[in-house]
Amino acid sequence: MENSKLVSILASSNKDIDNQKLMAYLSDNISKDDMHEIEKMMADSELVNDAVEGLQRFKQEDPVSSTAQLNADLKKQLLKKRLKKNKRQFKDKTWIYVAIILILLIVFATYMVMKMHLSTT
Amino acid sequence: MHQPHDKLEDKELLKKFYKDHDNEWLGILFPRYTLLLLGVCMKYLNNEEDAKDAVQQVFLKAINELHKYQVEFFKSWIYMITKNYCLMKLRESGKKFVELSKDLPEGLNDPDDNNSLTGKETTLFELEHALSMLGKDQQHCISLFYLEKRSYQEITTITGFTMMQVKSNIQNGKRNLKLALQRVLQKD
Repeated sequence: MENSKLVSILASSNKDIDNQKLMAYLSDNISKDDMHEIEKMMADSELVNDAVEGLQRFKQEDPVSSTAQLNADLKKQLLKKRLKKNKRQFKDKTWIYVAIILILLIVFATYMVMKMHLSTT
Repeated sequence: MHQPHDKLEDKELLKKFYKDHDNEWLGILFPRYTLLLLGVCMKYLNNEEDAKDAVQQVFLKAINELHKYQVEFFKSWIYMITKNYCLMKLRESGKKFVELSKDLPEGLNDPDDNNSLTGKETTLFELEHALSMLGKDQQHCISLFYLEKRSYQEITTITGFTMMQVKSNIQNGKRNLKLALQRVLQKD
């Protein structure tokens, strides 16, 4: 038995699955080597196996366009959360800004009063 | 801004996320799994719209959880979250999902552990021995798949097994092979 092939049984693929290859596999438009690569990943990973079995069930929608839509929604969601976080951070600091403005006003008022007092004397 | 970071590994992206808690890192990480998660949700929920909604909910849940907990192996973790979410949805709707494979959930441990056996010098001889100790069906499917590089479909034609049986024989055979080898190596 060829040694490298024998050892390959134990080796787990740590490569991330390529979405394009995955879709090519689903549409049965893939080379023999790539097909074996995908199936090895399926044998190694329950996630990949479940995903392939699920994607094979899509009938009405194209999973790739659904994925693009989901990614666009995710982007919007993350942006919304980011803006919310920034707003919250600004809100948290509001009292600091108010205190700074008040101190500056007091300093300015004191300066003006002292200036008026000096000019009259 | 994060364009050059697209090639970073999941672990590195998570590390960066935990450093500044900037959701933009998750914006690079999550889309790598969208298609896979959509497939997983579809497998369990068997409805295209429900599957899409589930992926959205899983993402929201994952964003919140990642801010609270330290996650090391993102792939296994997001799979577990997704599977649990789908099973919860099925329970809520009174439906049942019968799992045909009794495999343990994909490694919550370090996935690199799977390769630890391949590095041992004694493995080759022991491997051949362990392979011969497998059940006939598992041995046949493992040999066809790994040694002859046959596809699942070809193996179903050659053996007359169903696709599910072929997958099960390969997955369980591989797991049994590893267990057998671990036992042998522990003895040594």
